[in-house]
Amino acid sequence: MSGAVDSLMRLRQRFAGEGPEWLQIQREAAAQAFLDAGLPTRRLEAWKSTNLAPLAALDFARIAPTGAATLGASLAASLPAGIRVRSLAEVLRSEPDRIAGRLGRLADPKLSALVALQTACLEDGVVIELDANARIEEPIRIRFNSSPDVYDRPSASFPRLLVLAGAHSEATIVLDFGSEKPAPGFTCHVAELLLEKGARVELVQIQAEPAPRIHFSSVHAEVEGGARFDSSISSLSDGLLRSELDVRLIAPGAETGMNGFFLGRGTGHVDHFTTVEHAAPHCTSAQEYRGVLGDRSKGVFRGRVIVRPDAQKTDARQSNPNLLLSDSASVDTRPQLEIYADDVRASHGSTIGQLDADALFFLRARGIAESEARLLLTHAFASAIVEALRDPGLRADLIRRIDEALARLESARTVGGAA
Amino acid sequence: MPNVPLIEIKNLHANAGDTPILRGLDLEIRAGEVHAIMGPNGSGKSTLSNVLVGRPGYAVTDGEIRFRGQNLLEMDAETRAREGIFLAFQYPVEIPGVANNYFLRTAVNAIRSHRGQERLDAIDFLTLLREKMKLVEMPEEMMARAINEGFSGGEKKRNEILQMLLLDPAFCILDETDSGLDIDALRTVANGVNQMRSADRAMLVITHYQRLLDYIVPDRVHVLSKGRIVRSGGKELALELEEKGYGWIEGEAGQAS
Repeated sequence: MSGAVDSLMRLRQRFAGEGPEWLQIQREAAAQAFLDAGLPTRRLEAWKSTNLAPLAALDFARIAPTGAATLGASLAASLPAGIRVRSLAEVLRSEPDRIAGRLGRLADPKLSALVALQTACLEDGVVIELDANARIEEPIRIRFNSSPDVYDRPSASFPRLLVLAGAHSEATIVLDFGSEKPAPGFTCHVAELLLEKGARVELVQIQAEPAPRIHFSSVHAEVEGGARFDSSISSLSDGLLRSELDVRLIAPGAETGMNGFFLGRGTGHVDHFTTVEHAAPHCTSAQEYRGVLGDRSKGVFRGRVIVRPDAQKTDARQSNPNLLLSDSASVDTRPQLEIYADDVRASHGSTIGQLDADALFFLRARGIAESEARLLLTHAFASAIVEALRDPGLRADLIRRIDEALARLESARTVGGAA
Repeated sequence: MPNVPLIEIKNLHANAGDTPILRGLDLEIRAGEVHAIMGPNGSGKSTLSNVLVGRPGYAVTDGEIRFRGQNLLEMDAETRAREGIFLAFQYPVEIPGVANNYFLRTAVNAIRSHRGQERLDAIDFLTLLREKMKLVEMPEEMMARAINEGFSGGEKKRNEILQMLLLDPAFCILDETDSGLDIDALRTVANGVNQMRSADRAMLVITHYQRLLDYIVPDRVHVLSKGRIVRSGGKELALELEEKGYGWIEGEAGQAS
């Protein structure tokens, strides 16, 4: 048995007996499912391109809290009527029935060993409830900060998010994963979003925990008729990162937009695995993931589109263009279409290329230094993804952070080239 | 140093890829002069302009180029631009996602910094930009768009001339700027170029046809054939070429060698 499995199973005992009975049963079943499956290895089809050996080797010293303490001041600000943002622990204490049957409904421990591990170690997190017709313009920001202990020992954190979006409610939720200082260990995040009729929810994930932190995220959304779920993910870490997104369109008129920007630098490994399931007719999905890989990093994009037999008039689009900025970087891109209906519009495409040499020369011929010209071009490539965000302040903030990450990549290239 | 040519090309041999194109080209241009180079397709016109601006893929195998007495071939492309060399491209590239106005300000400030001038802030730049846009009759909305994206052929060429006006170069090379332009666009472009004529600036107009030289009247005309200048003369040489065709010069050059 590995260090990670042993230490986590031991550490979870601290809170395994807490909370309502249904949760304790869920946790134990999940722990058993995790022990049966073990950590995923590359023998599994879904993990072919990503090696979790660095995770298996970790000996965890603690499980870090992820609840109320991490919510920050932004949530204390007054929220409009009909919108509640609370820590999961608090909801479990005061009104567990509100989330019984919902928490864990989409994230199935039997289908994923890491979802099982997350559920087995589930203690706290954030619950967002949007009553029918409730709307908030200002993004709800949640920041998860990993921080090292004084001995720099590995820590694990298991943040959980549950979003219950009532009919015709509307909100933007930002999940910002970062750390002031590199913190060894593992962040294992699961989110579930239930969108009722006509709801519009935008989920923005910023995955920016630096190496050696290992980041896993598994987000599940179920979208009812006329509702729209938008996901925007920016992966800016230089560590080992796996991000899963699973969207089910379950009634006519459901829509989803799934956008991602991932940047690889150093020896980073970034793996995006998306699944969109068209389970009803007249649903629309549009996915665009863009990768910029530099240094010796590796990118992986795997996009499954499943169209069920009665999902006629489906419109499903997927694209994954990638820029390789160094000879040692690589990307593995595999769209996967499983279409069982016959009246469907589905398109997918992936490309792997370098910066346009003519564009680069044009900018230099106007006096712009090569490194700055490269930045202008990578910025243009990346920012197209962020342009779709609804909130202008958030958009500007994210573009700034992407530019900083691109600049770090470019300066590493320049230094490496000179050496 | 009024007697030093602004640009001095001696015995230039250059390859495009692995193919030798320029085979011993000599040319001197002084400040204040406008020279035209004419020649048939494949004579080396575009190779010359690409070599002058340091485009990757073109290798100088012999000879030298001096710009204000400095060895131009030792400079990278961006340094040449900052030192005052400007090429108006024959086929301006489209760059999705990079806004024209942002690009232009970045370029102007790169060049100003190199010259020891203060960088322009957004407001001062806008004032300068508006003034220059009037000269090439470009609508303001084109500035917020991505560089050349969805521009017509004429709009792209105007955008090139706008860049030239903004960057204020000492030596301007116009590579087939007339290609793909209707007569109105040609007039506008030529008007922009003529605004730039001055005693401390030189221009090299590269063209296949004489038409552009009705609007940008050169001091000297050179005929390029098989990588060398085979004949030079005044502006009347362009008219003679138009009348007799390139076969006339090439036949003569063939007999001479």
